[in-house]
Amino acid sequence: MPETILALLPLALVSAWIPAPRTRGAVFAVVLIAAAVLVAAEAVPVIGSGATVEIELGSLAILGPLRIVLDPIRVFFMLVAAGVFAAGVPFVAQEARRYAPRRAAVLLTLVALLFAALLAAFASGDVVSFVFTWEIAALLIWSLVSFNHRSEHAVAAGYLTLALSEFGTIAGMAGLFLLIAGSGETSLAALGSSAAEMPQGLAVAGFLLTFYGFGMKAGVAPLNSWLPPAYSAAPRSIAPLLSGATSNLGIFAVIVIDGPLACQFPELGLLMLATGAVTALVGIVYAMLESDLKRLLAQSSVENLGITVAALGAGFTFIAFDKPLPGGIALVAGLYQMLNHSTYKTLLFLGAGAVEEATGTHELNRLGGLARRLPVLSVLFLVGVMAIAALPPFNGFVSEWLTLESMLRAVEVEPVGARIVFALSAAALALTAGLALTCFIMAFSSTFLGLPLSKAAVQPRPVSRSALVPMGVLAVACLALGVLATGVIPVLAGLVQPYTGVDVAPALVPAFFQAGAAQGDSAGLIHELTPIGAQVGKGIVPLRGLVVLHPGGTETPVVFAMSTALTFVVLAGLLATTWLIFRARGRLNVTRGDPWGGGLHRLRPEMGYTANAFASPVRVLFDALLRPVVTEHTEQQGAFTTAIRRRPSMVHVIDRLTLQPAVAVMRAVSSLLARMHRGPVTDYAAYILVAFVVVLLLGRFAL
Amino acid sequence: MTLKDFISRIAGPEVRVLQSEAGIRLESTPAAVPALAARLVEEKGCEFATLVVEHQGDDFELHYFFHGGEGNATHVVQLTTRVAVGDQVPAISDRVHAADWDEREAEDLFEIHFAGHPFLGDFVLHDTEWREGVAPLRHDFDPRQQRPNGGRGGTWVPRRVLDEPGSLVFPVGPVWGGDSEAGLWLLETPGEEIRQAHTRLFYKHRGVEKIAEGQYPESALLLAERFSGNSAFGHGLAFCQALESISGTAVPPRALLVRTALAELERLRYHAAVIAEIAGSTALAVAKAWGQELEEELLRLSGEVCGHRYLFGVVAPGGLARDLDAGGLARLRSVTAAVTERLDRFEHLLERSSSFLDRLEEMGTITPELARSYGVVGPVGRASGSSMDLRTRLPYAAYPDFTPRPALETEGDGYARLRVYFHEAREAAILVAALLDNLPEGPVRAACEPLAGAGLGWVEAPAGSAFHWLRVDEKGVIRRWRAGTPGFRNWHAFHRAVEGAAFQDFPIILASFGLSVAENDR
Amino acid sequence: MADWVLKGLARGIRTTGWPARVEETPGVTPGRPGAVSRDDSPADVGVCPTHALEQSARGIAVDFGRCVHCQRCRGEGGVPWQDDFEWADWSTQSRGPLPASFRRSINVRYLDAGSCGGCMGEARLIDAPSYNLHRFGIFLTATPRDADVLLVAGPVTEAMRTPLRLTYEAMPEPRRVVVMGVCAINGGVFGQSYACVGGVDAVIPVDILVPGCPPPPLAIIHGLLLAAGRAEAASLERAP
Repeated sequence: MPETILALLPLALVSAWIPAPRTRGAVFAVVLIAAAVLVAAEAVPVIGSGATVEIELGSLAILGPLRIVLDPIRVFFMLVAAGVFAAGVPFVAQEARRYAPRRAAVLLTLVALLFAALLAAFASGDVVSFVFTWEIAALLIWSLVSFNHRSEHAVAAGYLTLALSEFGTIAGMAGLFLLIAGSGETSLAALGSSAAEMPQGLAVAGFLLTFYGFGMKAGVAPLNSWLPPAYSAAPRSIAPLLSGATSNLGIFAVIVIDGPLACQFPELGLLMLATGAVTALVGIVYAMLESDLKRLLAQSSVENLGITVAALGAGFTFIAFDKPLPGGIALVAGLYQMLNHSTYKTLLFLGAGAVEEATGTHELNRLGGLARRLPVLSVLFLVGVMAIAALPPFNGFVSEWLTLESMLRAVEVEPVGARIVFALSAAALALTAGLALTCFIMAFSSTFLGLPLSKAAVQPRPVSRSALVPMGVLAVACLALGVLATGVIPVLAGLVQPYTGVDVAPALVPAFFQAGAAQGDSAGLIHELTPIGAQVGKGIVPLRGLVVLHPGGTETPVVFAMSTALTFVVLAGLLATTWLIFRARGRLNVTRGDPWGGGLHRLRPEMGYTANAFASPVRVLFDALLRPVVTEHTEQQGAFTTAIRRRPSMVHVIDRLTLQPAVAVMRAVSSLLARMHRGPVTDYAAYILVAFVVVLLLGRFAL
Repeated sequence: MTLKDFISRIAGPEVRVLQSEAGIRLESTPAAVPALAARLVEEKGCEFATLVVEHQGDDFELHYFFHGGEGNATHVVQLTTRVAVGDQVPAISDRVHAADWDEREAEDLFEIHFAGHPFLGDFVLHDTEWREGVAPLRHDFDPRQQRPNGGRGGTWVPRRVLDEPGSLVFPVGPVWGGDSEAGLWLLETPGEEIRQAHTRLFYKHRGVEKIAEGQYPESALLLAERFSGNSAFGHGLAFCQALESISGTAVPPRALLVRTALAELERLRYHAAVIAEIAGSTALAVAKAWGQELEEELLRLSGEVCGHRYLFGVVAPGGLARDLDAGGLARLRSVTAAVTERLDRFEHLLERSSSFLDRLEEMGTITPELARSYGVVGPVGRASGSSMDLRTRLPYAAYPDFTPRPALETEGDGYARLRVYFHEAREAAILVAALLDNLPEGPVRAACEPLAGAGLGWVEAPAGSAFHWLRVDEKGVIRRWRAGTPGFRNWHAFHRAVEGAAFQDFPIILASFGLSVAENDR
Repeated sequence: MADWVLKGLARGIRTTGWPARVEETPGVTPGRPGAVSRDDSPADVGVCPTHALEQSARGIAVDFGRCVHCQRCRGEGGVPWQDDFEWADWSTQSRGPLPASFRRSINVRYLDAGSCGGCMGEARLIDAPSYNLHRFGIFLTATPRDADVLLVAGPVTEAMRTPLRLTYEAMPEPRRVVVMGVCAINGGVFGQSYACVGGVDAVIPVDILVPGCPPPPLAIIHGLLLAAGRAEAASLERAP
């Protein structure tokens, strides 16, 4: 089977160059989806069996052997990437028809190469192949972001992406070299297993460089200012792939490289936790201020990935404090969050792309009222919104809930400093969750509800099925991943077992819920938990819907419990009952009229509530963080004021604190160095002399 | 330099000056009007009162009224100019900003174009109901015709001044609130803060000035009382004073004092109602109930003593329609005194309610500069450092002998206005007691024979200065009636008070202005 | 800090006892002229500027739909006045009171279609402590969607013609329209003109008429109780 995959990818590359547009798109999509399906088919048994495959591909001089490793967690990442690509490729094929044949072919080629690069990166087992595939993926991302090269905005976004990506890669590489120096080997597995014996200084330095360097792909602050411009400048069908698949590269690096280090040193785990929490909070605050739908979704990606990183950090910290059970729960929560993010973010970005296709704009202040005109799209987008806002019974709820519940387990940790960090991070994440709900209410309402605020929104073009069908599949997946949480958690628990050392699945989804009849002491426990869904689907569905924390044994109590399955059943029942009641009542007296507008002849578009207006309380609250600078210009005619122009401009707080000072320092240094470019020839002779002397001295004293 | 000297100084070759006891009249060419008006207001500190436009034959006559001077040498200045129908008149409102709405109203109702005014159109006659070109106040327009253009206008697009990303125009009205008057306030805001507001009134325009044309003064008096029912006595009094000035009637002394007492009674009741509304707008329910109780007591007093709760049908040309009997006068004294005592305790309690004061302090501020520039009148003006009160500036009725002590605050915020309302209510009660103590015997009505001519009557209505100008022809029938109301003047400045306020403060600032939309719309 | 609660409780109950008890406090109503038979009064009906008095063989009849309380027919040589206030009557096209389920509680949307400060003031006082609308289960709402009764004052200016119609159309069934004030009945002193429609019934169907200029708060409440089916109608005309 792997050979088939390896054969399909070049086939996809070739099919990108078919001249006829419709055939090209169709064949490409079919081939790539087939490849994705095969990847998934290969992945599932590996995850199920837990087996690891290691292949050595040969050896390079100095750089050491090249390895491919396929263990459950890597294969899981490949599965997620395959799913995202399978969902996103039809829309890519549809969009490729807009371009001239050569450019369309280039686009499809890049997409296929990106898929291959991601799979290769996830499979790489040693530092060299990892960095190599990472760089290739980074370059492909850059070329995709700046694909619309005629747009200044896209080119600028591309450069920012490339610059930060390279900076991150260099830092990450430096960190990897430090870790290699500490462990003596170049395989990633060896780096991980030698984390215990590494000197602390090397480990910390290596962690910092690799976490912040490679983590920039996952939107870890402070190198995440490339995400919003990149996702909004990328072609509308590429953004789903970028947010759903490539961001997981960063998470992968964090888990595989930094995870073992953080499992040894709790301070590193706490740093990861705090960074994730801060990233999430800052991300969602800036998301609320966006009036561009794609930038809003990008900032929200920063937030979701921040939550993932925070959960992973919490997990590694627990493990470092020798508490494998809460650690495992937190790691499961982190992976679950990553999986959910890939699902609903791809869905939302596909939706945003569809909106752009239908109206030509993704400015929230120019949209509105699309629910009546594009009903299917709005329902599917609403499912994505409910999932990302963590509403039960969808998948976002499960991962957010697990994350916050695992944070509460900090009571089991002794050092007070660690508890404080946990408490503050949990508070930040809770605030983030609330703001995320508000933000997505704003995003959905501004786009689909209310009055259309521009002509484009009044008469949108129809949306193509290549967007709607994958969105439908992803929407069903969102619901399934939420309702069937009791099935997903054991799978993820198996993935994190190498890190925790124990299997946390029986603690979260105890066996006595699965068994046929209640036996012995656990009967009392089941009886107590029946009202909240312990027995939902008994005898009908193999998976039953209660997630608990039950440390084990029937004497120890249940610490928390949640059932999305029960929520789903109750909700569905309520809706069905209401519908039946209304059908049974027969003829309903329904009058339809215009919305009440205070007696005005007509509510005009400029009277509609805009996204900025909705977000202004947040703007006011966080004013100290945002520090907007307002330029105002007033026109007067005598005592009459005829016009007022106000333009607020904001520099992102992270840019203000990191990038701008760094750029200022670099500018200062380079202007200092620039003096070296001007001068008489004698100065240059002097430089050479000095350098020569220094080298001689070094040689004398070093050897 | 007195006002008269100043005017003789500034009158150039195009200006003719006629001075009499009635006041100072200037006649000028249209081109010289803006400079003259600006000099009167800026250099001599005169106040712009109102603009009266008459359509005579093929010409428009525009009368700009000012008043100014100091101490005993205060006069009304009438600046008249004549322009042919279809010609332009230069606007004065870029420098005399208080004339802004007068010019917009004249443009809508007469179709005179004021050159240099940036915001003409859609003022009295809304674009959605009226086509351009309908000029109801011209003499060839029949007021009783219904829907002259079939009731179909065009589209109305709200004027936008603010250009900020994500800003919207939030409409309040015309049907809003639980018991609010009909009007439209457009709040330009980016979300939380009101940056600019536009007041779009004249949803209640009933065209009283036009309907009165061709009526005898006795029936037009009904209109003068009822176009703004809660200042009915004040407007009726100004209307009668205008008639009396045309016919040269001397009102008997008893009638002068009783008129003054009833005007102060109306002021007391109006202010009690405004204070109740302010308390209600801040959701201080018990205080609102107290204020309404006081208002109800004063209304019942008015009904008992004069036969109507709002004093309709009391004032008449030449004096009063009916005298008050001794029992009524005694009731007037005692109830006014009791109400005042309760008002004092009420004010004391409100001043100790810090949560209530928080909503009013530094809220809805009209600075003294703004008040001067917009010519704000009444309690709102006196809360913003403008001490102008027609009872002391141009004393009428019994005020030359019974002078009220003026209220003066400079902060210009809602709390300053509240203090002014309480002060004036107290002063009103003191005046009523003083007047009733010194009431002479005698008739309460002199004969007011109709003569041809024109005259101006003015009062300090509860909301501010009101000017009524009448032209009567030889048959004794009204040819032109102009009602310049304090609401018309102060609503113009209202939008400046809400700039920078949050949405929740809008109803409170509205209540603290204590204005009537019906008075503005006529 | 002022203790409003205690002060308010100390003030006690200030509400009128009407309709359980008779309300005869002077000033509660402006009163209006009553019909007189020929023998009783030599009054001259020409003194009425709005033609509310009509001379006939039997005496003087009064049309309350035209009386604006100008008081010119009051006093000596005039018509005797009565101090009542239960003035509301059904219109000719009324649909009767609201269904029985609304008897104990109705929601009212007050609409200002050009009213002067008189009707505005009286309408604002119907919930004052002296009259207290809430004890009847009658409440004012801000949205017509929740309203059962539309209470209109003012002669309906041209600018308010469309807002009035839209407000009425936004109300769900069952709904009733109560017009207060002579202006809302037939245009009052403003009548029909270029600016005034001259009566609410030219725009929307009207159920209950409350004459007066302005009708005192108890008359307005009487009209609302009529809509709820809890009061008896008076007549808009009185013959000698």
